[in-house]
Amino acid sequence: MGTNPKLNKAAPNRASASVSRRVSNSVIEKWKDFAFSVPALVFMGAFLYFPLLYSIYISFTNWNMTRPVMKFVGANNYTRLLTNEEFYQSMKVTFLYTLMDVVFTLAIGLLLALLLNVSSSRLFGFMRGVIFMPYYISMVIAAMVFTWIYNGQYGLLNQVVSWFGMDPVEWLINPSTALPALVAVSVWKGVGFAMILFIAGMRGIPAEYYEAASIDGASRLRQFRNITLPLLSPMTLFLVITSFISSMQVFQSIDVMTDGGPLKATNAIVYWIYTMAFVEFKTGRASALVMILFVIILLLTMFQMWVSRKKVHYEG
Amino acid sequence: MRDNYMAGSAANRKLLMALRIIAAVLVTLVMFFPVYWLLISSLKTQAEMRMAVPTFWPQSFAWENFAEAFRVIPYARYFGNTLIMAVGTIILQLNVALMAAYAFAKGQFRGRDALFLLVLAALIVPEQVTFVPVYVMMSKLGWLDTFLALIVPHGASAYAIFLLRQSFKSINNDVLEAARVDGAGRFSILYKLLLPMALPTVVTMGVLIFISTWNSYFWPLIMTNDNDMRVLTVGIAMLRDSIAGNEAMFFHIIMASSVMAIIPIVLVFTVMQKHIVAAMANSTFK
Repeated sequence: MGTNPKLNKAAPNRASASVSRRVSNSVIEKWKDFAFSVPALVFMGAFLYFPLLYSIYISFTNWNMTRPVMKFVGANNYTRLLTNEEFYQSMKVTFLYTLMDVVFTLAIGLLLALLLNVSSSRLFGFMRGVIFMPYYISMVIAAMVFTWIYNGQYGLLNQVVSWFGMDPVEWLINPSTALPALVAVSVWKGVGFAMILFIAGMRGIPAEYYEAASIDGASRLRQFRNITLPLLSPMTLFLVITSFISSMQVFQSIDVMTDGGPLKATNAIVYWIYTMAFVEFKTGRASALVMILFVIILLLTMFQMWVSRKKVHYEG
Repeated sequence: MRDNYMAGSAANRKLLMALRIIAAVLVTLVMFFPVYWLLISSLKTQAEMRMAVPTFWPQSFAWENFAEAFRVIPYARYFGNTLIMAVGTIILQLNVALMAAYAFAKGQFRGRDALFLLVLAALIVPEQVTFVPVYVMMSKLGWLDTFLALIVPHGASAYAIFLLRQSFKSINNDVLEAARVDGAGRFSILYKLLLPMALPTVVTMGVLIFISTWNSYFWPLIMTNDNDMRVLTVGIAMLRDSIAGNEAMFFHIIMASSVMAIIPIVLVFTVMQKHIVAAMANSTFK
């Protein structure tokens, strides 16, 4: 008699204990799952999100990295930048460089894609590889080779120019040729990448479209204009925005080839940020400039997301 | 009539293809030319580099330029530093990404997708936004001029996490469930089951990390000051700065240094080209 209630009491107890053990087990399982994302989150927090917030804070101070004083100065850095002639000069250089770089890289990349998109040929595959390779060669080394080609006295380019009866030019010392000279290096490095992505886009276009068009007697040019170009537009948009963003951050070639000169003709924004922070030690001002660059990049990215969302809708 | 049209176009097509091959070969030669110029310049003597009319083939092969590179700068040291930085970054970044990709693809916890978005958002933040605070951090930790400053800040790559998560997501859950029933823990599921199944992606990722780290310039330039800690890109750029105004005297050495610095990249690229191209094309829209 006395054992029965005990049993009765114990039974639900045991059941609830096992339920709660199961619950706590699954909670532990969830925490274990979460734990695997922790290293990535810690690295991102420590080296990306915290520095990002800290950069915003620094941009509102008068901090000079070599001195311990850090005084809050409000928007002073921003107003000083936005009323500075040099800021607009640097913006102009950056956008001019970016515009030339994006237009030439994508236009030539598209032409290369049209020319080299022959899937069954090993020769064409090999040639695509050769054209793509500069994308993976260090910009420092590419810039070094072109510096030598541009050399005013012994450079190859002046030799080529002389064949056409023109006078030699100091390509990197002349303010009107220095920026295009930098663009050329970037175009050389980038066209292979654009070509590869355009070809990937072209291979995604169903062959029936072309068959139907040629039965209707549409010329190759018409097919290109009415089928290839419109159906490549998502890829083109992707390339325009991503190359725009990376061009705006041009730094290595300037640091190797021109140091921002001659007469600030190649003082693009990231190079200016670098000299401001690590040569003049105006850390606060440099951070404000970083933030302006970041906002521009953010707006471009949002624009891309907005347009590509509309595109998906349009196609669906 | 239609047959006639086709016959005419077959002959036309052959001619067009021939023209196309010629055009493609010419374009490829033009694109390859700077690399060719780099190679032959690295083999010219100082005197030949400074001739009024540049030569298109070295008069004699000046192999000693390569030995000279080791004398002018601590080349072996730079090469070793670059290799340690690249391998260290691959090991750290791949392991962090493998774990995170596992958590975000197969884990069950609240806030998983929100956290993944937070990781993805990192793709928008350029390096320049973080370098000043990270520099200060490294200097406070005493990590400047050490490999820690070159490797640790690049521990998490949103791109690597994103691509690995994609490839883990395509793996069937039943396989994981079966392993779990057999008593396999998370680490053994990740490293003994998922990793082998996603091996092509993991290897491609490793190669891409290798290339971008090997070529990196901005970060090592800022994080190192000690000559013994320089990497190849920075060392070669400094070599040029140190002879500014006197470039023509040393450009054959710079070219030889550069040739040796791109050999690992060209090797890796040649072997892995197909996978790299596939990864590039995959990462655009999805």
